[in-house]
Amino acid sequence: MVEFTVNGRAVALEGSADKPLLWALREDLGILGPKFGCGVAECGACRVLIDGESVPSCQVFVGDLSGARVVTVEGLAQPDGQLSAVQQAWLDEQVPQCGYCQPGFLIAVTALLSQIPNPSDAQIDEAITNICRCGTYPRIRRAIHRAAATLSAG
Amino acid sequence: MPRLITRRGLLLTGAALGGTALVAGIAGIGYLSTVDVDGLEGHVDGESAVLNAFVVLHPDGSVVINVPRTEMGQGIHTGLAMIVAEEMDLPFDDRIRVDFPTEAHPAYSTWFNVLQVRPEEASGPVVWLGRRVLGEMGFIATGASGSTMGLWHPMRVAGAAARQMLIAAAAIRLGVPPSELTTAAGVVRHEATERVLSYGELARAAAVLPPPDDPVLKARSDWRLIGRSQPRVDLPAKVRGAPVFGMDVTLPDMLHAAIRHAPVFGASVSGVRNEARVRSAPGVVDVVLIDGRHVAVLARSWWQAEQAAWLLQIDWSATGAEAVDSAQLAARQTEALATGSPHDHIDEGDAAAALAAPGATVIEAEYGVPFVTHACMEPMNATAILHPDGRAEIWAPSQNRVTMRSGAARGMGWAGVSARETTLHITMNGGAFGRRSDHDVIAEAAYLAARHPGRAVKVIWSREEDIGRGLYRSHAAARLRAALGPDGLPVAYDALVAAQSILHSMGGRNLPVTPGPDGDVLTVEGLEKRHYTLPNRRMRSQHVPSHMPIHFWRSNGFSFNTFFTESFIDECAQAAGADPLAYRRALLRDSPRHLAVLDRVARMAGWGAPLAPGRGRGIAIEECYRSVVAQVAEVTVAPDGEVTVDRLFCAIDAGLVINPDQVVAQMEGGAIYGVTTALMSAIRVERGAVVETNFHDFPVQRLANAPAIAVEIVESGEPPCGAGEPGVVPAAAAVANALFAATGRRLRHLPLTVTETIGARRIRSMLPPDQA
Repeated sequence: MVEFTVNGRAVALEGSADKPLLWALREDLGILGPKFGCGVAECGACRVLIDGESVPSCQVFVGDLSGARVVTVEGLAQPDGQLSAVQQAWLDEQVPQCGYCQPGFLIAVTALLSQIPNPSDAQIDEAITNICRCGTYPRIRRAIHRAAATLSAG
Repeated sequence: MPRLITRRGLLLTGAALGGTALVAGIAGIGYLSTVDVDGLEGHVDGESAVLNAFVVLHPDGSVVINVPRTEMGQGIHTGLAMIVAEEMDLPFDDRIRVDFPTEAHPAYSTWFNVLQVRPEEASGPVVWLGRRVLGEMGFIATGASGSTMGLWHPMRVAGAAARQMLIAAAAIRLGVPPSELTTAAGVVRHEATERVLSYGELARAAAVLPPPDDPVLKARSDWRLIGRSQPRVDLPAKVRGAPVFGMDVTLPDMLHAAIRHAPVFGASVSGVRNEARVRSAPGVVDVVLIDGRHVAVLARSWWQAEQAAWLLQIDWSATGAEAVDSAQLAARQTEALATGSPHDHIDEGDAAAALAAPGATVIEAEYGVPFVTHACMEPMNATAILHPDGRAEIWAPSQNRVTMRSGAARGMGWAGVSARETTLHITMNGGAFGRRSDHDVIAEAAYLAARHPGRAVKVIWSREEDIGRGLYRSHAAARLRAALGPDGLPVAYDALVAAQSILHSMGGRNLPVTPGPDGDVLTVEGLEKRHYTLPNRRMRSQHVPSHMPIHFWRSNGFSFNTFFTESFIDECAQAAGADPLAYRRALLRDSPRHLAVLDRVARMAGWGAPLAPGRGRGIAIEECYRSVVAQVAEVTVAPDGEVTVDRLFCAIDAGLVINPDQVVAQMEGGAIYGVTTALMSAIRVERGAVVETNFHDFPVQRLANAPAIAVEIVESGEPPCGAGEPGVVPAAAAVANALFAATGRRLRHLPLTVTETIGARRIRSMLPPDQA
């Protein structure tokens, strides 16, 4: 039995210790925001926050998560539904096209801005390695700067 | 361009002919005359008012707009809903919900893509018959950048008809003539008495009124939505991780299937050496051979199924392609250019004579591109169930309802099952790019569901199956020749392209009748250069078969031919000592629409302004999907060889634009797709099998080093044109031309760069000249 929290909710998983978190979230917990894209930590569509750090959930085993705080894209908004600054910036810049990869970007950017509140373009390039095949990168860059401005304005 | 059956339309000719014979044979023309191709009749459905096939009003004031096209990122659900909302005077807010209807109403058919006649211009017996046959067979497909062109007019009419029915209902209720009533923001108003009725109050009465014979469309001057960017209806859910992609379909007690396809395409399974071992792996429920060609492992979890599938030791039959590699495939094409017997598409004037004339300045060059694949972010998947009562249900991210249906029937057929009725649910698509018009994964899911009746089965391909065992854009090679006149402009143009026919390969897998391989219209897209004034013009294609499965791929022939031709035009300009922009301007002297786009992009890019050493600009233009699109790429080649596309400028005349921000988004995303293909994409073949497996060896553009992109939409007098694919089309040529401007080196083969490791850095650089 492994116990941890997902989006603030306590979960206990039995017999899944060697299962990647991605598939435990999707198949055992019904949390479908994190997406399967490559299975080898190349694309980032499965990224989640584990204790505040952006991690590809296809590479983390449930057995290593005891006591961890996991946040998925579903956990970014406030409990009352209000979007986070990053999600709002994504809407304001009309970032997503197909949207499949965007949960991973939203997580990666949330983590980036918690560590570097006002990242330069070079810092963004360094930190955000996810893949978007629709090519929303120009808008992603704008949305990151917009979210950073919102957060620093308080 | 009165070609009745063109381009991608041809892909359905086989199906359409089959459908024609079937429907006409069974019931004849009299039956076809009853097919409701406009969908304007309303009815009441419980508490809801179905005003017509496109609009449903609910008692809570919400409005469902039925958009029978796949949302795969292109924003089509928003753009087409805007058209209905415009004509109905509906506020475009969160009371509007867009549904992809499960029912295949004949009014939803994608007949525009087949007949290539705009609905607002349609007349005559071919169109009459074609739209009825295609409507009856439920041909609903999303592709060829055709959704707005095909539904712009029908959905305008549907919106206008619904508005008039609401007015008519209000006139009866208020006892006033309809002419005294106006509409705005979801209400009908009687100004004289200041009475107001909401659409919700009127809907059920309106739905049972006869639709107007000739709905009156809004004057352009009254538009308040069309042409003004509206936020997309699907994005609030997409930033919350809420939309249901095919990958997310979850049904009670569902089985999950992982799958292995033959490494050498066309091979069958001779045996599985360790089936018992795989069956005993954790969670495994079944190991199933599909159609003798694939092996599926079913488990209670896809993770378990995939883990077990890695254990499979499969023996594959020999196909004769086991020794084929990329070098051989490329050599076959080069040979075909030299010794083939090509299909003649165009032979105007006498290009051969002009090229052979004594003293002619002849420019000749050969170009090539490799196989590439789509790599949609959502891996291929489908979910199927065969209910105990014999009905089947399929959920899939699909671009094509017909191949989805035929795939379901084929898969069930492998199990000897014929479903009593098949319901198709098209989910959100995590990218598509043409890939999701094939039935492959759907047939697999249907077969597995038939083998486990009563239980839902979801098939997911791993990324390795998608990239290495999937479907591909053909590799292609071309030999282009031009004879330049005394002014340096071409007096003759002779184009020969060698590629594997898309329609032959795609049709062979998906259609009841396989189109012949020769003269494939998709193979020559972008080769014609109709907009350039070229006195003598010849265009030929040579089909070069291989064992590789070829499929639609965002912009098809344009994706290689425009790279070939727009690079070649630059080579002609160089030979003539002319500036590439000035040279194209001269060639476009009879094409004012194209000239305006070219001039716009040149102005955006500051064409002609000096650049630092190692930097360069390249320009390219194409007409595709009835749009005209031009791009300028600005590149830097660093002293260590690193290539960066710094900026990309794009101008498009897409005709009348419904939602400008989404045309901009398609140009941005298309340009990234095109730059990716120009710089880094290649599928290689060794020992008959694809070498690449995942994103580490099939790299795609990421955020770092992605070009900054500026897009401008050129004012146009044309009706709506295509926008999903044009952004891809000029990018490779623009980048190659820019690299030439920066370095003086002409690269005639994609990809233009290779990955190099310099110290700790991995960079993309041009190959040294002796290896290029």
